Amino acid sequence: MEEAAHIEKIAAQAGLLVLLGPLVTGFVQKLKARLQCRQGASIWQPYRDLAKLLRKGTVQSDSASPFFRAIPVLVLAATVTTTVMLPVLWASSGPALLPLGDAILLLALLALARFLCAIGALDAGGAFGGMGASREMTVGLLVEPALMMAVFSVAVAGGTTDLVHLAARRATLPALSWQAPDLLALFAMLVLALAETGRIPVDNPDTHLELTMLHEGMLLEHSGPGLACIVLATHTKQIVILTLVAALFFPLGLADGSAPGALVLAGLAFLAKLLALAIFLGLVESSYAKLRFFRVPQFLGLGLVCAFLALALRIL
Amino acid sequence: MSVELATRLIDVLGALLLFSTLLILASGQLFRAIYAVAMQSVFLGIAGAVLGAATGNPDLWVIAGITIVVKAILLPWLLIWVVRRIQIPREIESVIPINATLALAAGIVVLAFRLSASLGPVRQAITGNALPVGIALILLGVLVMAARRTALVQMVGLFASENGIFFTAMAVTQGMPLIIEIGILLDVVLGALVMGILVLRVRSSVDTDIADLENLKG
Amino acid sequence: MVRVAVWLGHLLILAGASAGATLALGVLTGDAGTLRLTLPRLFPFAEMSLCVDGLSAFFLLVVALVTAAAALYGPSYLGAHAKAPLVQTFALAVFVSCMAGVCCAGDGLTFLLAWEGMTLASYLLVVSDTRSEENTRAGLLYLVMAHAGTAALLVVFLTLAERGHGFDFDALRTAARSLEGPTRSALFMLALVGFGAKAGVVPLHVWLPKAHPAAPSHASALMSGVMLKVALYGIFRFGFDILSPTVGPLPASWGWTVLSLGTVSAVMGVLLALQQHDLKRLLAFHSVENVGIILIGAGLAMLLSRGRGAESLATLALAASLLHTLNHAAFKGLLFLGAGSVISRTGVRNMEELGGLARRMPWTAWLFLLGAVAISALPPLNGFVSEWLTFQALLLSVAELGGASGLLAGVAASMLALTGGLAAACFAKAFGVTFLGRPRSVHAEQASESPSPMIAGMLLLAGACVAIGLLPGYAMRLLDGPTQQLLGGLGASAVVTAHGPLVLSGAGAKAGLEATSISVTAVAALLALLALVAWALRGWPRRAPRRLAPTWTCGMSPSSRFDYTATAFAKPLRLIFSAVYRPRRAIAKETGPSPYVIRRLSYTGEVVDLAETMLYMRLKRWVTATAQAIRAHSTGRIHGYIAFVLVTLVIALLLFARA
Repeated sequence: MEEAAHIEKIAAQAGLLVLLGPLVTGFVQKLKARLQCRQGASIWQPYRDLAKLLRKGTVQSDSASPFFRAIPVLVLAATVTTTVMLPVLWASSGPALLPLGDAILLLALLALARFLCAIGALDAGGAFGGMGASREMTVGLLVEPALMMAVFSVAVAGGTTDLVHLAARRATLPALSWQAPDLLALFAMLVLALAETGRIPVDNPDTHLELTMLHEGMLLEHSGPGLACIVLATHTKQIVILTLVAALFFPLGLADGSAPGALVLAGLAFLAKLLALAIFLGLVESSYAKLRFFRVPQFLGLGLVCAFLALALRIL
Repeated sequence: MSVELATRLIDVLGALLLFSTLLILASGQLFRAIYAVAMQSVFLGIAGAVLGAATGNPDLWVIAGITIVVKAILLPWLLIWVVRRIQIPREIESVIPINATLALAAGIVVLAFRLSASLGPVRQAITGNALPVGIALILLGVLVMAARRTALVQMVGLFASENGIFFTAMAVTQGMPLIIEIGILLDVVLGALVMGILVLRVRSSVDTDIADLENLKG
Repeated sequence: MVRVAVWLGHLLILAGASAGATLALGVLTGDAGTLRLTLPRLFPFAEMSLCVDGLSAFFLLVVALVTAAAALYGPSYLGAHAKAPLVQTFALAVFVSCMAGVCCAGDGLTFLLAWEGMTLASYLLVVSDTRSEENTRAGLLYLVMAHAGTAALLVVFLTLAERGHGFDFDALRTAARSLEGPTRSALFMLALVGFGAKAGVVPLHVWLPKAHPAAPSHASALMSGVMLKVALYGIFRFGFDILSPTVGPLPASWGWTVLSLGTVSAVMGVLLALQQHDLKRLLAFHSVENVGIILIGAGLAMLLSRGRGAESLATLALAASLLHTLNHAAFKGLLFLGAGSVISRTGVRNMEELGGLARRMPWTAWLFLLGAVAISALPPLNGFVSEWLTFQALLLSVAELGGASGLLAGVAASMLALTGGLAAACFAKAFGVTFLGRPRSVHAEQASESPSPMIAGMLLLAGACVAIGLLPGYAMRLLDGPTQQLLGGLGASAVVTAHGPLVLSGAGAKAGLEATSISVTAVAALLALLALVAWALRGWPRRAPRRLAPTWTCGMSPSSRFDYTATAFAKPLRLIFSAVYRPRRAIAKETGPSPYVIRRLSYTGEVVDLAETMLYMRLKRWVTATAQAIRAHSTGRIHGYIAFVLVTLVIALLLFARA
């Protein structure tokens, strides 16, 4: 009985994240357009794009292996699996037999999605895919150490990397027990979130010129429903990263049971956090230019040092 | 304001000061470094206000006000005016790669924390983590001066060092005499004025940069 | 006739492996306790015996697993193009039995004899494959370094045997109890050097990337997957069992040395692997990396062992380390067998000349992909499980150790995360360039699938990877024996699978906090479910038409020249980590009538191994210079040499008379 209720909650949270993903992208695009004094497409445009892609036919490279068709499905499956691990509305941990909430497992699943995407890009052959795969894997591995240290600096206080437990514990403490290390870890995570979601100044999500695209380069050979799967995976990954930042640092307003009042409050709190982070993304994208690729390690180095200092301040 | 809340706020402001120093170290452009040090001085002013409210010492309010006016507005404005006036190239050249500088900075911060942990009685006389952050800021300011070529960025490093001294001095629970703090401030203002005039004169008359002074060796 | 003999030999090896595996499983899961067997007396001064306790049984299982796969794989591989298949079969049999002998040795003499036999047999395998000069030099370097390590081991064994008046392990333990701290630490460091040279710990790893690729592929799988583990067995045996003090924790210097050596090996190994384009050299460097990861767990266990109140944390770290031993043997064996399959069908080792093999050799390709996903520590396979356990151990020890030690453990964790990312990038390159895209040479175009025995060997190891990945709780039961024996306290399964066999939890958290748990089985099930749902849904809006078209290459007709090369894939990392790589490059242009018309362009790039240039070249130059200096003084007269011998004898007699 308890398991069934828990599974329902997890499924609801996962569904909410997957459905809201394209909306966040649409909102950021609209914000960027407004800041550039344009009208911009409506915030529901990504949904229309996905529907359009599902209706289209597929064109596949004739030199690709039979595995190529499975790549978009696997990437989407890996990314959607991470949505069950985050405390979105509820912070109650489930039965011990079904623990789903570990931060390291979440990051590893996102790494799996990136690996499969890179393999798919090399499968179709051609230079665009190879370049995109090479650069995306490079940025991905530079982000890993800093992410691990930022997560550790928050997790050391709780002794666990389980996101749900961390959030539940933190939500009960006064003023969320915010300390100096949390601030530095937040800065580090914001820098790393820009890299993981593939936004300026690390990558430009709107371009298709070969020297300026990292993530888009890997998607070039996909089309039709396969491309829809990967684009949905990209939206989901973005909202997962934003929810991760919110769960680690601002676990406010999380509901405990199923009382409708608490649920509405939790939903509004979640939307507010998403809104704040989406505004941050939009502002950064509009204020900075994309960095030259070999300056990205310096940018990520700032994030690494902030994360290191967060861990150092926590335990020294 | 309770002592505990003041300590928490000082800790948070210490973290913000460290972050702004990292921004100075990691910036590749002159204006970003100047804005970062202005931001740092604003945080320092807020710290002064917090400490003034916690201890009830009126000197601290005065110092906070002077810091914000002089170091967050006047001196950065002076630096920006010099940059615009003689059109110095805005890119900061560094002596060692930026990633190496950041790694050294991380090591220096850890060193500062270890050092302050071993200075037992001194550590207890200062609120929060102001002592280690102050020591770290002083050393990081010197690192900026050592690792960057452009003369104006070295001024920025000097301001950062001085912010560190101020932060520690303000947080001493017994209180520090006002005259000492005014004296340090005057030192830095004079230093900035001298550097500004020097850069202007050298540039306008000889058409080389201060950094080329290294050619004057025996 | 020769083929029948080769098949028979390999079947014998397979039978031996199965027997070994059964024995090991019996000792690990049953309550049989330690098995002892006295061997016939070969030497008058010592008795030889075999003793299989928990730790030996676990490593015996590791040996047996990869041996079985290699035995299945061997005959078809050797049948293709081997020069001396009978010699290689014989050497393989000796090699495997010696490795089993090392693991099961009950006294120092058996250990050393088996160790030496292992070195000689593998040397034979390294030099027997082809007769090139490079292989001979690689074999020579291997022999020299292995014997240098054995010399260090001899010192340790002989010191302990002399004190304990006997060679068997009980006597050695008693002897070690009577040592003082500094002597004990010195002996441990010597043992670390001796075993580290065989295990491929940086900076003693320089022989590994030269020797492992030279042997035939199933022998490389055994050398990389098993021989390195046998060397690590020595470190575990000496560090935790023989040399450890009876009461109190192990000295902190041991743990920190092992931890830092592990971290450096892991990062350097994978960085150097990224720039290799020879498939087998790449895999050999990855072995260095994984040995580093195992040592990180072992060092952590040493730091947290008995007497600090953190026993379950030490058990967690040791369990992570031992599980990674088993996992690495499985996926490294699989990868080497796959690489061997490619090399035997195409005759090419350089991945820049391969490509498009996924359509021509499908089984090899997908099994290689499985191994690649496992080694990159990606869920839901076994590499992820052991790395997750290592991360949990590191996190909890950051909280436990506190202060600067905790910070160092945190840095080790971030370096471990970096190696995971680097390994994923490296294998994306290796798999992508070798198997995907278009074939870049005639050899790749004409490749065909390997014969079934080779595939069967690979399937065995792939099955082990998947089984340990999806059901790690059952593998934890195998670790009960070793962890209880080495650290005391709870066994591995009590600590790690406290919530049942399908859930892993990193226990040892402070009181009042929930330990982190994951269920890889649940995640794998969820992944499969979502994949099926997505597959069904993508076809839902009215079967969209599908057609094939050439890849877009900016309007030119596509050829393999457009595919990304491995050098290009690894270039960004070569530039980012140039301080470690010190890359050298040379571009030679041949121009036509005008300097803007280039007829020929040749690009040579080279990456140095820092250990080689900074340590070994300098050592070599110093030794050569000293030798030249001494040579200048040699007179060539017989009387001088005889007088030299006389003086040495007199001094030796004086020393012995004194003692």
